[in-house]
Amino acid sequence: MTFQYFNRRLHLYLAMFLMPWFFMYGLSSYPFSHPKVTEALFDDGTSMWIPRFERPYDIDVPAQPDLKQIGARIMRDTGLEGSYGTYRDNPKVVNVYNYTFWKSTRVTYFIDKKLLRAEDRRFRWDQFLTGMHARGGYDHPTFLEKAWAFTVDVICVGFLLWIASGLIMWWQLPSHRGWGWLAIAGGLGLFVVFLVGL
Amino acid sequence: MYLALFLTPWVLIYAVSTMAMNHREFFRDLYGGQPVQWEIESGQTYSGTIPEGAKPAEAALQILESLGMDGSHGARAAGGRIIINRMHPVNPRRITYNPANRSLLVEKQVFRAPVFLERMHRRRGFEQNYALDDTWGLSVDVFIVAMLFWVASGLWMWWEMKVTRLWGGVFGLAGLALFAYYLKTL
Repeated sequence: MTFQYFNRRLHLYLAMFLMPWFFMYGLSSYPFSHPKVTEALFDDGTSMWIPRFERPYDIDVPAQPDLKQIGARIMRDTGLEGSYGTYRDNPKVVNVYNYTFWKSTRVTYFIDKKLLRAEDRRFRWDQFLTGMHARGGYDHPTFLEKAWAFTVDVICVGFLLWIASGLIMWWQLPSHRGWGWLAIAGGLGLFVVFLVGL
Repeated sequence: MYLALFLTPWVLIYAVSTMAMNHREFFRDLYGGQPVQWEIESGQTYSGTIPEGAKPAEAALQILESLGMDGSHGARAAGGRIIINRMHPVNPRRITYNPANRSLLVEKQVFRAPVFLERMHRRRGFEQNYALDDTWGLSVDVFIVAMLFWVASGLWMWWEMKVTRLWGGVFGLAGLALFAYYLKTL
């Protein structure tokens, strides 16, 4: 096996394996790039949040709480499963955001009212795509979350390998070198203009 | 091929920035907390006059022009002050104008690679009245179309090469299966 053979196969098989992510990242970039367009397309005027329940609830929330611990307690008490994040909009509430690719639930604990409210988010394709696009990070406790984060790293390395293997393949085609140099210089030049002028 | 060569800087920036964002906790620990830090660049008394009742956006435009820093920005009022975030890929600045004593504080963001990368990743166009901003937005759109085109053209090229059809198919199916598994379980 020659290096050129290995390089060509690496370029192709890597692309074939990572194609679903490549497609997803491409498609999901559009709602990020044109939020007003997608909002107008998908927003039909109905409320984003559908009430699930509202009930009395009383847990101790210290002034400097361990949010992860409180979030875990609320998740357990509400019977919710899956990934979640815990945050606070203001000192009177604790918010737990529970999500999968397909559905999301927002749980709000009103500390002074001792009230727990849960709402489900209505499904929208644009939010499904942007949710997948933005998912990542190793700060989640479950194995699958970390596996997804690792896959994201693999995709990033895949992109870098595509660049390297693509440049090597281009260089092996002497008849395309001139126009290739022009394309590289054009892209790099425009990118530098953005870096300086934006 | 030429499209890929032209868009190489975009591919590079999106790949490296995604990795930086995927390891945000690591960088937070590395910098001992919030990676975004500001340092004072200059302080001065503003000699111009902001019309009474001017909205933050109007005041911001006037202040930026007088400082020779016109460009993409956001402005908001907070605690009686006007805070202007002058966006820039490498050197963003925060300008705080206090109408009470007409002071103008210019702060420069300390350059940190992960912050710069994330800023580039999140930057989009078509929201400001600046041609270069929209041109960037257009370049992002071209990149989106290119990605979808590469998926389609890649599939076609794979199918045309009979010698790699089997293993290409195996890798394609393996990737699709893993993606479907994540879709179902995550």
